Amino acid sequence: MTLGRILVTLAGIAAIGWVLWYFLALPPAQRASRRRVGA
Amino acid sequence: MIPDVAAPLLAKAAAVPSRQRVTFPVVGMSCAACAARIQRQLVATAGVRDAVVNFATTKATVEFDGAMPRDLVEAVREAGYDVGTDALTVAVSGLRFAPGVARLEAAVAAGRGVVRAVANPAAEAIRVTYIPGLFDPRELEAAVVAAGFTLAASLSEADPVERERRVRQREVRGLTAKLWVAAAVAVCAMVASMPLMGMAVTGRVDLLARLLMPLDASLRGALPGLYALEPETLKVALFLATLPVMAWAGRTFYVSAWRGVQHRSADMNTLIGVGTAAAMLYSTVATFTPGVFTGAGLPADVYYEAVSSIIALILLGRLLEARAKGRMSEAMRRLLDLAPKTARVFRDGIEVKVPVAEVAAGDLVLVRPGEKIPVDGVVRTGKTAVDESMLTGEPMPVEKAEGDEVVGASLNTTGAIMVQATRVGRDTALAQIVRLVEEAQGSRAPVQRLADRIAAVFVPVVIALAIAAFVIWFDIGPTPALVYATVVFVSVLIIACPCAMGLATPTAIMVGTGRGAQHGVLFKGGAGLEAASSVTAIVLDKTGTITAGHPTVTDLVVAPGTRDGGVPVPTVEVERTVLYYASAVENLSEHPLGAAIVRTAQERGLEIPEASGFRAKEGRGATARVDGRLVAVGSAAFLIEQGVDIGPFTDAIDTLAARERTPVLVAVDGAPAGVLGLADPVKPSAVSAVKALHAMGLHLILVTGDVRKVAIAVAGEVGIDEVETGMLPAGKVGLIKRLQAAGERVAMIGDGINDAPALAAADVGLAIGTGTDVAVEAADVALMSGDLRAAVTALELAGATMRTIRQNLFWAFFYNVVGIPIAAGLLYPVAGVLLSPIFASAAMAFSSVAVVTNSLRLRRFAPSFST
Repeated sequence: MTLGRILVTLAGIAAIGWVLWYFLALPPAQRASRRRVGA
Repeated sequence: MIPDVAAPLLAKAAAVPSRQRVTFPVVGMSCAACAARIQRQLVATAGVRDAVVNFATTKATVEFDGAMPRDLVEAVREAGYDVGTDALTVAVSGLRFAPGVARLEAAVAAGRGVVRAVANPAAEAIRVTYIPGLFDPRELEAAVVAAGFTLAASLSEADPVERERRVRQREVRGLTAKLWVAAAVAVCAMVASMPLMGMAVTGRVDLLARLLMPLDASLRGALPGLYALEPETLKVALFLATLPVMAWAGRTFYVSAWRGVQHRSADMNTLIGVGTAAAMLYSTVATFTPGVFTGAGLPADVYYEAVSSIIALILLGRLLEARAKGRMSEAMRRLLDLAPKTARVFRDGIEVKVPVAEVAAGDLVLVRPGEKIPVDGVVRTGKTAVDESMLTGEPMPVEKAEGDEVVGASLNTTGAIMVQATRVGRDTALAQIVRLVEEAQGSRAPVQRLADRIAAVFVPVVIALAIAAFVIWFDIGPTPALVYATVVFVSVLIIACPCAMGLATPTAIMVGTGRGAQHGVLFKGGAGLEAASSVTAIVLDKTGTITAGHPTVTDLVVAPGTRDGGVPVPTVEVERTVLYYASAVENLSEHPLGAAIVRTAQERGLEIPEASGFRAKEGRGATARVDGRLVAVGSAAFLIEQGVDIGPFTDAIDTLAARERTPVLVAVDGAPAGVLGLADPVKPSAVSAVKALHAMGLHLILVTGDVRKVAIAVAGEVGIDEVETGMLPAGKVGLIKRLQAAGERVAMIGDGINDAPALAAADVGLAIGTGTDVAVEAADVALMSGDLRAAVTALELAGATMRTIRQNLFWAFFYNVVGIPIAAGLLYPVAGVLLSPIFASAAMAFSSVAVVTNSLRLRRFAPSFST
């Protein structure tokens, strides 16, 4: 595996992790206020 | 900058009285998270006590004591949104040749809630852009006067309901125009794509493409000119046609999608935005630099028709929903219409008719029989019975004498009274109901649509898959690796966006509501339907919902009669005789109990005879001559007063009273003839309806403004074990809020004006259609027949519709999800197949057809009760 491929693979894994974290794991504060809007 | 004249106005605006509450529109929100963000920003503003931002009504309600309205606007803008404005043009006298135009503009612009003021000397008018809710027209009038001008016409406060309606109309008009453009382009793009696809077919063997060949052939016959065009020309033409669809018709999706991403939430907009943007990007590259693809041995396919048809179909869904909205504000109009417009007021001892707005506390107001009482007050002279059903829901008029309180908009039935006004304008009971409805509508939880909940998870997963596919193709794919990897990455995003997603909810709701209408259940919109499907508790109003809502003769006790010679007369015949005499007297009375007696006599086929010498004793009884005999009808006390010995009937009276019946005695020629028992009877359908609701596992609560004994008797009769009594409108709202706080999803079933706030506050409000217009307008669902069993039908139908929506969303996503592995290139090593426009079109067509067909199945929905 060339260095380029290793870098792209690592960047891809990081990007997947970040996307899933960004959209699916809301910080607790925002979750609370979301409920408040719904209340 | 601000001239001296404006200073006092500014000072006035600055001297904000402690604790104020304003509600103003907010624009640009696309999801519940946006509302949360604005809310946080507002609460963080100095001087703000509390703020609630409602996504569903797009309004913010702020309670503040130190803050300036300007700060609130600033806070909303800081959060990345804006405050909705409205504009009005006011004619100003003598503006044309006056030098002080700039002065006038500055003075008006300094007013509270004014965003901009532009004077037009030629037209002698000034155009004021303002924030509804913050702006006070009286202040504008003062500002104009302070600047040395006068208004050509006095400003009446602009009708907020009318304004709301205009906004909705604008929304529907805008969506319709966008839909037409997007749909026209989509159809053209689909037709024009056929030659392009046909060309692709010649290159490779493809099963799906073969299926399309007959269509391709017939199109070739019909439009030979289209096929004669160069594919490059066609692609450029499609690009040019698709551009406005994206930039104009689909703009809201991209704006909302971007806002959603900023707030870490993905929804339908994100999916549409990402999918169509990816398709457009891919197609643009394929159109203008096809060498990138062909150089790598890939076909330079375009997906323009996917972009425009996704946008068109989603817009169609939005339009169907927007049309159903807007009904809510009608409730306010109907409520406001309840109040009488004028009042007869005594000023300096002279009776004058004045607009209700000019009645001041302390004024003496004359109210004649049959008129509505204009304001809240205390009876000073006179005696009457007042129909207060708008406040209590009870149909029986309440006796009022000197010193008793009366409420505005209640109906004065029998006597003329003089009322001293105590509360006027915004303080009256009716104004409070209006406020309750308004607040309930504003604080209602937005229904997070199922499609959005799915997209919230689906979008990040698809993006992750696309990245994974990119990495794998880059690492182990053929050369040029970067081109292949990018093509695969974009293809996954293109295929993941199901255009049938936009149809899944609206088509099911359309068919479901249509089926509901056939069964006498009118759903006003999708949100109510979605909410009704997940109800856990039902609050039922007593009067008019479980009971008939008007008094009826339920019992008739007569003395055993004998003919000359001691032959007993059949009881039925005696009953008819008693009704015959009683109805003759009551036919001349205005009392609602009298109306019930007359109705019962007519129902039994009796001819009501003429009576003469009618004399009524206010609220207690009446006497008249019928066929030459003196008949007295009334309460026990009234008959004793008339010298009648009621001894034979005391037991019957006690029994009736114990069963919560109102006893009405009848005497003929001074001898007691019988007792009628009147009550508001339970509707025959209510018992089976309550049983069915219990069987659905729902928590049932009976509420009423009536006294406890009556309520418990009714609850026992229908089989409800939880009862809340003495409930005024605010109490009912409070009960619903408590239930909601305890985690229940609450439905309210009611019929009266007094139920309107509760109907609006509940997760879903069901109004008995035979009830008041206000209740019907405030509710989400109207049960046209007045039969409580229709509520069961409504809940069943809501459940069936939601099941259909879930299935629809499954089918919408299913075909596209199947496409993801193909787009990711899973078939490439085996068959050398990558995503082609034909796969995309097929997924689109199959999912749309599956969704529409599935929705149509709802037409066969059969309720457990056929009402």
